[in-house]
Amino acid sequence: MDTMRRIAGGMVLVACLSGCGYNDLQGLDEDTKAAWSEVVNQYQRRADLIPNLVATVKGYAAHEKDTLEGVVQARAQATGVQITPELLNDPEAFERYRQAQAGLTSALGRLIAIAENYPNLKADQNFRDLQSQLEGTENRIAVARKRYIDRVAEYNKMVRYFPTNLTAKFLLHLEERPNFAVADEKSVATPPQVKF
Amino acid sequence: MKPARTNLVWRGPVRLFLWFALLSVAVPLFALEVPPLTGRVVDSAHVLPASDVDWLTAALKAHEEKTGNQVAVLIVPSLEGEPLEEYAHRVATSWKLGRRGTDNGVLLLIAVKERRLRIEVGYGLEGTLTDLRSAHIIRDEIVPRFKAGDIPAGVRAGTEAILKTIEGTYEAKNRSTARRGWGYETDALQLVFVGVVVGFLAGMVLSQGLRRTRALFGSVLAYLVAQSAGVTLGVVAAAVTAFLLWLVLRTNRGSWSRGTYDDWTWYSSRGGGWSGGSSDSGFSGGGGDFGGGGASGNW
Repeated sequence: MDTMRRIAGGMVLVACLSGCGYNDLQGLDEDTKAAWSEVVNQYQRRADLIPNLVATVKGYAAHEKDTLEGVVQARAQATGVQITPELLNDPEAFERYRQAQAGLTSALGRLIAIAENYPNLKADQNFRDLQSQLEGTENRIAVARKRYIDRVAEYNKMVRYFPTNLTAKFLLHLEERPNFAVADEKSVATPPQVKF
Repeated sequence: MKPARTNLVWRGPVRLFLWFALLSVAVPLFALEVPPLTGRVVDSAHVLPASDVDWLTAALKAHEEKTGNQVAVLIVPSLEGEPLEEYAHRVATSWKLGRRGTDNGVLLLIAVKERRLRIEVGYGLEGTLTDLRSAHIIRDEIVPRFKAGDIPAGVRAGTEAILKTIEGTYEAKNRSTARRGWGYETDALQLVFVGVVVGFLAGMVLSQGLRRTRALFGSVLAYLVAQSAGVTLGVVAAAVTAFLLWLVLRTNRGSWSRGTYDDWTWYSSRGGGWSGGSSDSGFSGGGGDFGGGGASGNW
């Protein structure tokens, strides 16, 4: 009788834990973190491309100082935001990071736009290569952001829905996480177009 | 007076209904549909002659047999306003090109009307078929031929360049080991688990009756819960429940009788056979994932 009770009790306990979303919350918590790492990773990849890009443009359009410096400054600002695991749980830090990256996106857009005025620059093999790498990276950023948005939406739902919100609040101490707004998602999803 | 009033009352709901009817028609028009994966070369724009389709299919098939990389070609007449990159990613991820885990799939997408094309590269091949290499293939191999008006030659040259680049990245796994393990999603296994728990508890609660009836009752319940995940899994759940109930009831009273053992082996042999043996002729994606790698171009 004792063994039976123990087995039955164990099963009830396990059923309860899966019922109140303990495992699902833990899994989603990890998923959002992984999706976030991918976003950070791709933004970093973009930042790594910029010194080469700026150097190449300088070779043909050195007097476009404002635009070039704008990119360098925006990059410094974007890479200056410290990325800690707490960033995900702090909406303000998240917003700072998002804004710094958005600043870099628009500075890069201006840089690509002035390239239109320099036929020699546009024909430069090195510039074309950097251009396609930049396009590729922007596309990966868009994909990584989209995945993060989907994951966090799922996670936030679990954190707010009843009864999983009780598990999230009292057992796991998980809070809602900030997400990218769809409006600025649109601007990122369309990479700067350059016609050769 | 009266008709006017009815009119007022009804206008709202009717208009709402019309809006919904309109929306339900309009929404699918916005997103371009992903065509079914009928083969390694899907030419819905009908620009490739049959001989080219055969040649490409043979080359892609030989490559997959050697390396396990899944490469597919899709030619659509138009993107219908959808961004090229989004559509390429959507097609690649819903076709699931490449093996699960290695993510070694590539999609060559060509939109005829927009004169745009893209090479979409799976996670596992991003290291060899880099964005830069993809851009070079588009720029040097495909676009010059497309500009000359010879789309089949461009597709052939581009595909050859892609295959050459990713040659030697992976080795094809033995077919039997490449099978995707249990092949069941966690949801299905959870159902089995719930079925076992429900059946077991029900069997325990039932205080009256013989051991055999109680075990049978419990396993039938387990089967009913788990069978929505598949008949095989239902049988497995029933078998596990029956086994657990017998185990507990045996320690409870009496000894393990010969008949019960036979019952258990009967259940287990029924539940043990996982259905397998998919046909080899049809081409299907292996579960690969894409992270937006690759390059786009236009001609």
